[in-house]
Amino acid sequence: MKEKMDNIKNAALEMIEKATTSHELVDVRVKYLGKSGEISLLMRDMANVPKEERPNMGKMVNELRNAVESVLNEKTAKIEQEEKLARLKAEEIDVTLPSGAKELGTLHPLTLITRELIDIFTSMGFSVAEGPEIESDLYNFQLLNVPKDHPARDMQDTFYVNDNIVLRTQTSAVQARIMQKQQPPIRIISPGKVYRSDDDASHSPIFNQFEGLAIDKHITMGDLQGCLQTFAEKLFSKDTKVRLRPSYFPFTEPSVEVDVTCSMCHGKGCRVCKGTGWVEILGAGIVNPAVLDMCGIDSSVYSGFAFGFGIDRIAMIKYGIPNIKLLYENDVRFLKQFN
Amino acid sequence: MLVPISWLKDYVDVEVSPETLSKKLVAIGFEVEDIIYQNKQATSVVVGKIVNVEKHPNADRLRVTQIDVGTKTIQVVTNVPVVGGETIAVALDGANLADGHKIVKGELRGVVSEGMLCGLEEVGVTEDDVQGQKMGDIIRFEEGTTLGMNALDALGFNDVILDVSVTANRPDCNSIYKMAKEVAVALKTSCREPEIDYKTVGGSVNDMVSVDVKNQTLCPRYMAAGVKNIKIFPSSQKIKSRLRAVGIRPINNIVDITNYVLTEIGQPMHSFDKRELEGGQIVVRNANEGETIVTLDGKENKLNPSMLVICDSVRPVAVAGVMGGENSGIKDDTTEVVFESAKFARDNIRRTSRALNLRSDSSARYEKGIDFASQEYGLKRALTLVYQSGSGDIVDGLIDVKVDYQKVREIKFTTKKLQEILGCKVPKNTLITILERLGIEVVEGDKCLVAKVKEDREDIVGVNDIAEEFIRVYGYSHIKPTLFEYATLTKGGIGDRMKFANVVKNTLSACGLSEGVTYSFTSPKFVSQLKLEENDSARNAIKLVNPLGEALSVMRTTLTHSMIETLAYNITHFNKAAKLFEIANVYLPKSLPLEELPTEEQRLCIGMYGEGVDFFTLKGALERTFEALHLDVKYERSARPFLHPGRSAEVIVNGNSVGFLGEIHPDVADNYGVDVRLYVAEISLDAIFSDKLLDKKKYVAFSKFPNIERDLAVVVNEDVLAGDMIGAVKDAKIKHLCDAKVFDTYKSEQIGKGKKSVAMSFSFASLERTLTDDEIATEMARILNVLKRKVGAKIR
Repeated sequence: MKEKMDNIKNAALEMIEKATTSHELVDVRVKYLGKSGEISLLMRDMANVPKEERPNMGKMVNELRNAVESVLNEKTAKIEQEEKLARLKAEEIDVTLPSGAKELGTLHPLTLITRELIDIFTSMGFSVAEGPEIESDLYNFQLLNVPKDHPARDMQDTFYVNDNIVLRTQTSAVQARIMQKQQPPIRIISPGKVYRSDDDASHSPIFNQFEGLAIDKHITMGDLQGCLQTFAEKLFSKDTKVRLRPSYFPFTEPSVEVDVTCSMCHGKGCRVCKGTGWVEILGAGIVNPAVLDMCGIDSSVYSGFAFGFGIDRIAMIKYGIPNIKLLYENDVRFLKQFN
Repeated sequence: MLVPISWLKDYVDVEVSPETLSKKLVAIGFEVEDIIYQNKQATSVVVGKIVNVEKHPNADRLRVTQIDVGTKTIQVVTNVPVVGGETIAVALDGANLADGHKIVKGELRGVVSEGMLCGLEEVGVTEDDVQGQKMGDIIRFEEGTTLGMNALDALGFNDVILDVSVTANRPDCNSIYKMAKEVAVALKTSCREPEIDYKTVGGSVNDMVSVDVKNQTLCPRYMAAGVKNIKIFPSSQKIKSRLRAVGIRPINNIVDITNYVLTEIGQPMHSFDKRELEGGQIVVRNANEGETIVTLDGKENKLNPSMLVICDSVRPVAVAGVMGGENSGIKDDTTEVVFESAKFARDNIRRTSRALNLRSDSSARYEKGIDFASQEYGLKRALTLVYQSGSGDIVDGLIDVKVDYQKVREIKFTTKKLQEILGCKVPKNTLITILERLGIEVVEGDKCLVAKVKEDREDIVGVNDIAEEFIRVYGYSHIKPTLFEYATLTKGGIGDRMKFANVVKNTLSACGLSEGVTYSFTSPKFVSQLKLEENDSARNAIKLVNPLGEALSVMRTTLTHSMIETLAYNITHFNKAAKLFEIANVYLPKSLPLEELPTEEQRLCIGMYGEGVDFFTLKGALERTFEALHLDVKYERSARPFLHPGRSAEVIVNGNSVGFLGEIHPDVADNYGVDVRLYVAEISLDAIFSDKLLDKKKYVAFSKFPNIERDLAVVVNEDVLAGDMIGAVKDAKIKHLCDAKVFDTYKSEQIGKGKKSVAMSFSFASLERTLTDDEIATEMARILNVLKRKVGAKIR
């Protein structure tokens, strides 16, 4: 019996030693440790062993089982680990291959800038107002202090539908509509398409404007400057400076042109700002009291400021787009750049 | 407005560089668009002295000259018969001439030539600009002129001209004199007045001409003066070169004087040949219907009663403020002249000039507005120039027909009010100094200040104007930024309509589509290109009166046309595929011609083409969009003429069509020059907009028990739509049914001609328990019944 056990042990250990796959080790486990395995059968043989030797023999069989099992487990763990590594190795892929997943779509650069602008101004308490693109002469011009045949009409080349209806030349038309139906405090912004009969290398007959209007008691030119300073810092960068220069618009008095430090060179002077360090971006001013009165707001009580600028121009400055026409050609190679 | 600095210097001392002057002008509100250096219009053309002349060895007509240009002596081959010792103008190697030519060193018939002798043409100068030179000859200088000096400087043609953009509120500044006043303010110095000094010879202007103004609204002031014994001759060098510098062609002394006064004082003037004024009368009146006049440019103009004309006793002799008549112009033998200096209503001049398509320097000036002060000043200045130039004998007296007008406007204000407008401290003494430098007198009033504004500043009418005058000189840098220091807090935000559009944009871009933006106006040809039917209201597009061209002349009533054009653009620009969308308005007139503002309807348009793109790619993008909007839609076959009849659908919401999707009909694609399949959808966002859809998100309980799936295949006629089958089932209120889908359809001979097999899957679940087979079998039987009844389905 003892000898038989030694043989079994040696044979089993040899078989384990020789095994190279987890599959072979399963075979070993079945052959020796399974229900009808050789070591299990030794227990059945116990019936032939004299009674007094049985405890000792039983102990020896158990030791044999434990010994074989221990070696087998150890080897199994090792082989399985190797096999796992081999499998992982075999599963290696070229991670630089493209995914084949659907491409992301894109929003138009004008939408992106408009959303950014809306975020900036709504956080300062402005709400968005909209108005018609085909507008009456009254709202587009007359209520903004530009009577018919006024020389200021030359500032904007207008598309006419008839004597009294135009394609709006400025989103300021929305201002007049709001002022007529709402009393202060008013704080609105109005983005939208505007039209000028101007078509050359640097002009598009359609472009987008962004208009702002704030009317309340005690609104000053300082508030205008503060509001525009905040806008410039948020849109361009924290170090952007704002400069006001005297100018003229019929619906504001005083009127200013507003320059910001060039976002390309941070004011040092470069090709974009023609070496001046400043880029002209918008027109603004204190709402002309005559406009307030015409729209039914008491100019002796209220004052306000207004500003307006071209969204296209801001997009061109911000994204470095060299030509306004690119915005309206809709070439997918252009559109897909703005994701 | 072109402003020669030399002319400015007649009235103000300018001791800073043109660049500094420009910056200072910009700071007080006058943008300088360009600084033009006359002596830079040709470069590297210098004064040289011919020290030696020899015959060219290989050409009889050429000479080889040695020219001393100060720093060195160069060799120049020329065909000009020059002699040694002459001082001339020579272009050096690398010179850029005014006519665009560039001079480079080279060989002429085997002899090196390092430059070229120049005439006035090469340096861009005319005989009018400089003295003692002739066109067509080379420039010759006096002996002793500094060699190597810029030839333009040596010619005295070296003014610096500022191109100033004058804003519409300052018409007065379209004149050298008023510009000089602003320069004086910018430079903190004083300004001199143009000289008025002439002697008359007796007689009376009233004996020469009478003036009758019939319409004082359109002509609030008309002044006239008379000059006898007129001599017509070319103007002085100074006047000619100054007029040229501002872009006006010199003609003769009398015409030049009127143009000189227009530029200097800003007052348009006109000169009539007295002989041609029938009856010695000037009548200012509205034109009669059908009256005509041939103007100085030779054009015949048909007048109407809205236009103002200057007439003699029988006929019009000028379109008031716009252009004189050919009949009464100054001729070489003119002996008596009547000068007109008038104020005409700017809006009427503008209308007349546009209606007649007739422009002149005068009309351009009148359109901007002329103040009351300029007529007398301009007329007297013109007479001064007549007197100084010896152009004729000025008779006594001026005719002046005018309405009453306010000479000085008083504006009451306080420094506190200015501070409230500007948001910065306004020191009273500084304020008064600044306003007085601007010619505005300030006096103390009752608890306020009173500004006395003269008639030449019609733009200053209120306290805001005073604030602007102060701050533009004081400087905007004095204003410190504040953020609504005293104003009420307001709640900002965007409206629901914009939120709705944003959901659509975000969804479609997440689906891989790119947003485009196209023009709102288009060609009227879209009607035929899209084959729109006779009764289609989309044919009624609003026309522009003054479009940029036929191709951009009507306001679009559909986005589909622009989308097809955009897809076609991408196809011709080598893009293999495109998936685009646009959200924009279409313009739907309530009636044509337009009487009230049209309806502007916001629409979504999707367009795509390319490999792997089909009807269902397009439909997928729409489905995801409607899902994001929580909108229930149905699809029905469409019959739009521009769509593929078998591959197009109407999108139905609450029983109404809100738009369509489909493949573009091949004939229509052909109309756009496209031979690939295009897929386009157009949906009215305004028709589906509802603010309720935006917050429709709500939790719905789902079953913890397993879903039970059942498939069913039925045979139906091939024209039965899958959507109708699913719809019939969904409408039948089948118990526990939580989803129903079509997953396959096919046709075969076994199924039969005109038939198809439709395989559907149904999913059942209960919130309370696992459903039993029996329960589901009952419901499946009900589904089959519904399909039999509604679409004639038979089980396979």
